[in-house]
Amino acid sequence: MLRVSAIAEGAGVPTSSLCCEGFLGQAKTTSVGLGYPNLALATVPGHVDVQSENELRSNVLGTTVDHVIRNLTGEIAAVQATKDPAPDEIVFQGSFEEVNRLFLENGWSDGLPIVPPTKEKIAAFLAFTDLPPDHAIGKLLPDNRLATVWNVAVNGVMAGCRPEYMPILVALVEAMADPQYGVEHSGNTPGAETLIVLNGPLIKQLHFNYEQGALRDGFQANTAIGRFWRLYLRNVAGFLLHQNDKGTFGNTWRVVLAENEDSLAKMGWPTVAADMGAPPGESAVTISRFTGGNVIVSVFGDSAEKLLPYLGNALVTHTSWELVFTVGLATGTYRPLLVLSPLIAETIARTMTKAEAQEWLFENARMPAQLFEKYLWGWTNLIPGKRTLNDWVRLGKLPRVFAGNDPNRLVPVVTKPEHVMIAVSGDPLRSNCYLFVHNGMLGFPTTSTVKLPQGWRSKLRDAQG
Amino acid sequence: MNRRNSSSDYEVVWPRSAKSVEIKPLARRLDTLDGKTVAFLWDALFRGDEIWPVLKQELSSRYSGMSFIDHDSFGSTHGDEEHRVLAELPGKIKSMKIDAIVSGMGC
Repeated sequence: MLRVSAIAEGAGVPTSSLCCEGFLGQAKTTSVGLGYPNLALATVPGHVDVQSENELRSNVLGTTVDHVIRNLTGEIAAVQATKDPAPDEIVFQGSFEEVNRLFLENGWSDGLPIVPPTKEKIAAFLAFTDLPPDHAIGKLLPDNRLATVWNVAVNGVMAGCRPEYMPILVALVEAMADPQYGVEHSGNTPGAETLIVLNGPLIKQLHFNYEQGALRDGFQANTAIGRFWRLYLRNVAGFLLHQNDKGTFGNTWRVVLAENEDSLAKMGWPTVAADMGAPPGESAVTISRFTGGNVIVSVFGDSAEKLLPYLGNALVTHTSWELVFTVGLATGTYRPLLVLSPLIAETIARTMTKAEAQEWLFENARMPAQLFEKYLWGWTNLIPGKRTLNDWVRLGKLPRVFAGNDPNRLVPVVTKPEHVMIAVSGDPLRSNCYLFVHNGMLGFPTTSTVKLPQGWRSKLRDAQG
Repeated sequence: MNRRNSSSDYEVVWPRSAKSVEIKPLARRLDTLDGKTVAFLWDALFRGDEIWPVLKQELSSRYSGMSFIDHDSFGSTHGDEEHRVLAELPGKIKSMKIDAIVSGMGC
């Protein structure tokens, strides 16, 4: 909404942006990053989702219309830019406690103590990349700040990372800045959180946990890099709670999920990175935003045919409003992720490839069409027009498998079999799995290959003592 | 922000980075809405389809000769049409002779 207004103002046309009352603060901070801190906002009192037609009309006539007129015809106060510190400028000198107090008070920390980012520590991180410190990786909305190698190192230090994690941190920010990912949506109200999936030789070289407790904090590489992600979103992209981050509830950041590549090799199944097109033999990170998930406990059976129905049921029962990313808001962008323990994956792999397991789930994990449509525009107001799935098929937006007039016909929850992503990790000898429910184009799966510096092996040897 | 030097002190840098956009002035506001063309752009969310008609009716009653361009002339500003709609907007502002834009819904 505000990006529209910024473009129009730049083209010489005055604008008024309509905001529900609770979103005025976010709109003001987002406007700064767009280069127009004083974008004119028109208030819609309360939130429209719970207002009757009369209440909505009364609120628009009583408040919004006057704001729109004021915004388009009245003078709006000019704003001046404030000066930011230079990247290598020392902004403070003090004790550990004093530094942490400063960072908390300025919103530069997540609430946990940070490692003070001194030039000496930053230099150690910079030694693990061949890129110069001022190399611009990209621009990150909503603040529209430059992502640089320097500030990757700064936030890596703060998060408690080790210097040798630097190549992964740079790859992560490259993925974050990729327009396909959609970082600008990271403050949306569902509060989805990114999961980082790591593949390649760095899993073992940097001692990532990929077995029991794979999604729990407790291993430095998994934990510190997960924390880095959220700190970077805060400090460089600009996602702060009560400002640009409007997650109604939100989640804490997730630790890095490393795949069990020994198990994958044994089965002959491709890794997540390989599915995403990463070159074989190289390490890569894949990022994607998930609204939530659930553990699928004690999956029971000695064959793929006995195991897959439970997994398919989880896929259907945990997918709800996210179906707006299967069709409607951003058609074909829903990418749920099933994490299989090696025990379950290897049992399925006795008779199926990964692609065959995905095909089975596409064919069998289905829900009644009328329930699907309730999520789109019955229980939610997310898709205007009340189009049925059959309408979407006729418009050419959905494949034929969704067609039909029987409201109880069963339809898939994704548009292609390969859209159900599958990873292998967790306790190798337990029969539990995990399903992540996806936020569609508002955090679309994006992979970045990790580039190692020259002399990686000797540098790593020195760093690891 | 600097203070006393001590062997236990840390000299720290800023964890953010410069904004990559300049602060720009807003467009000149209109002297009146009489006879002006106002376009509505919508992200297809949060009851904009109910709000636009109310706005249109009320603005028309207060100002003479106004005309309106509805959101469906542009497409949705959120979701899979967003990048196309935003890229086309400057051209459409000129070709449709748009005087002002109302954009919604931030909810």
